[in-house]
Amino acid sequence: MSSPREVRSVKQAEQEDLFFGQAVILWARWSVIVAGIVIVLWTSNTVDLLTRTMPFFLVLMALNFFLHGRYVMGSPLNRAAVTAASVVDLVLITAILVLWPGAHGLRSDFFVLYFPVVFAFALVFTRQIEVAYTGLAMVAYAAACFLTDPSIITNGIEAKDLVMRLIVIAAMGFLGNYYFRIQRGRLARASAGAKAA
Amino acid sequence: MSTTHWDPKAGHLLSPDGKWYWDGVTQEWKAATDQAARPRPAPAAPPAKPQPEHGLSSFTGTVRSEDLGFGQPVLVWARWILIGTGLLLSFWSPSDPTTLKVQLAAIVALAFGNFYLHVQLLRGHPALDTVVYGASLADIGVVTALVLVQGGFPSPVFIFYFAAVVGISVAFPTWLTAGYTALAVGVYGVVSLATATSDELPAIFTRLLMITAVAVCGNLFARSEMKRRAEAIRVHDEMLDEIEQKGGIENVQPA
Repeated sequence: MSSPREVRSVKQAEQEDLFFGQAVILWARWSVIVAGIVIVLWTSNTVDLLTRTMPFFLVLMALNFFLHGRYVMGSPLNRAAVTAASVVDLVLITAILVLWPGAHGLRSDFFVLYFPVVFAFALVFTRQIEVAYTGLAMVAYAAACFLTDPSIITNGIEAKDLVMRLIVIAAMGFLGNYYFRIQRGRLARASAGAKAA
Repeated sequence: MSTTHWDPKAGHLLSPDGKWYWDGVTQEWKAATDQAARPRPAPAAPPAKPQPEHGLSSFTGTVRSEDLGFGQPVLVWARWILIGTGLLLSFWSPSDPTTLKVQLAAIVALAFGNFYLHVQLLRGHPALDTVVYGASLADIGVVTALVLVQGGFPSPVFIFYFAAVVGISVAFPTWLTAGYTALAVGVYGVVSLATATSDELPAIFTRLLMITAVAVCGNLFARSEMKRRAEAIRVHDEMLDEIEQKGGIENVQPA
C-alpha cells in the first residue's frame, strides 16, 4: 500500500502540530505549578522558607499565564519560544531538586515533576527535538544528583534508583513521541480522504 | 450569476427549472426524472458472520475500537519498557530471594502476555478491546504488587505507574482513562498512606498529582487529535463536493 500523500508542507504541519499541541504543554506546566504551590504552603513553617521556595513557582506561573493567555487569544508563540519556555521548565525543576530546603538531588521527591513536562513536550515536537529535550532532562537530573551527592556512583542501591528514574524519563519522551508519530500518519491519511484513518 | 442550485438531499447540482441534474461521474446533465425513476441500489448484504476461531487467535475477534487499535502499540511498548527495566533492576543488587521470586514471576507473566499482544499487532490483528483492558489492569496490578513487596511508600518502583498510565491515557477513551487513573491513584494512595509517615504526605500528594497530570495530558492530546482528524475528513469531503459541483476536477481552478 502506498503511503498517504501529505497535503500540508512540512513547515505547515509543524506549525499546526505546535498550535494544537501547545495546550498539552500548558496543562503539564499548570500541574507542576499546582503541585509546587500546594507543597510550599503545606510544608513551610517559617516566613524564610516561604520566601525561599515560592519564587520558583511564581516564575513558572507568570510564564504560563503569559503563554496560556497568548494561546487563548489565538496567537500562540512560535516554536523557538515554546522550546525556550520548556527548557526553562527543566531548569526550574532541576533548581528545585538542588536548592530546595530539605532533601536534595536523588533524595528529593520532586523528580516526578520531570515526567509530565517531558511527556507533554514529546507529544508536540518532532523526533529530533524531542530526543534532544529528553536527553537534556536526563542529563540535568543526573547532574543534579551527582552534584548534591557524588557518592551515588559507589552506592549500588542509589545508582540503581537513579538509573531506574532516568529510564522512566526516557520512556516518557519515547512513548509520547511514538504516539505523536502514529497520530501524524493518521492525520495524513485523513487529509487524503481515508475515513478509517 | 449562477441560477443552478445544490440539492443537499440528492447530492447533485440541479438546473434552475429542477428538471436536470449534473452527473459528476459521467460529466453530463441528465433528466431529473431518470434519477427519480432509477431504482435505488439494493442495500448491501450484511457481512458474513465471522466463523468462530479457536486457540489464541480467538482473542483477536471483531470487537475492536479504531482509536484503541492505534493506541495499542504505545501500550505494548510501555509494557516492554516496564518489563525490561523491571528485569534489569531485579538482578541489580537483589535484596532477598522471596522478593526476587515475586518480582520475576510477575515480570515473566507480563512478558508472556505482552509478547502475545505484540505478535497480534505485528500480524495486523490488534487484540480485542476487553483483552487490552484486562492487560492494562494487569499492568497496574503488577506495579502495585512490586510496590507492596518492597514495603509500600519507600519502594522506588512506583514510577512504573507513569509508564502504565501513559499508554492508557492515549489509547483509551476519556471515561476509561479516568477510571484506570483513579484506580492507580486510589490503590497507590491507599498503599502509600498505610506505609508512610506524616512527614511524607506531601511527597505522596506530589506523586499522585503527577500520575494524574500525565493521564490528563495524554488524553487531552488524543482527544485533540481526534477532532483534527474529523475536521480533516470534513474538509476533504467538502472539497470533493466542490469539485463535483464545478463539473469535475478539470474545471477547478488552482487556489
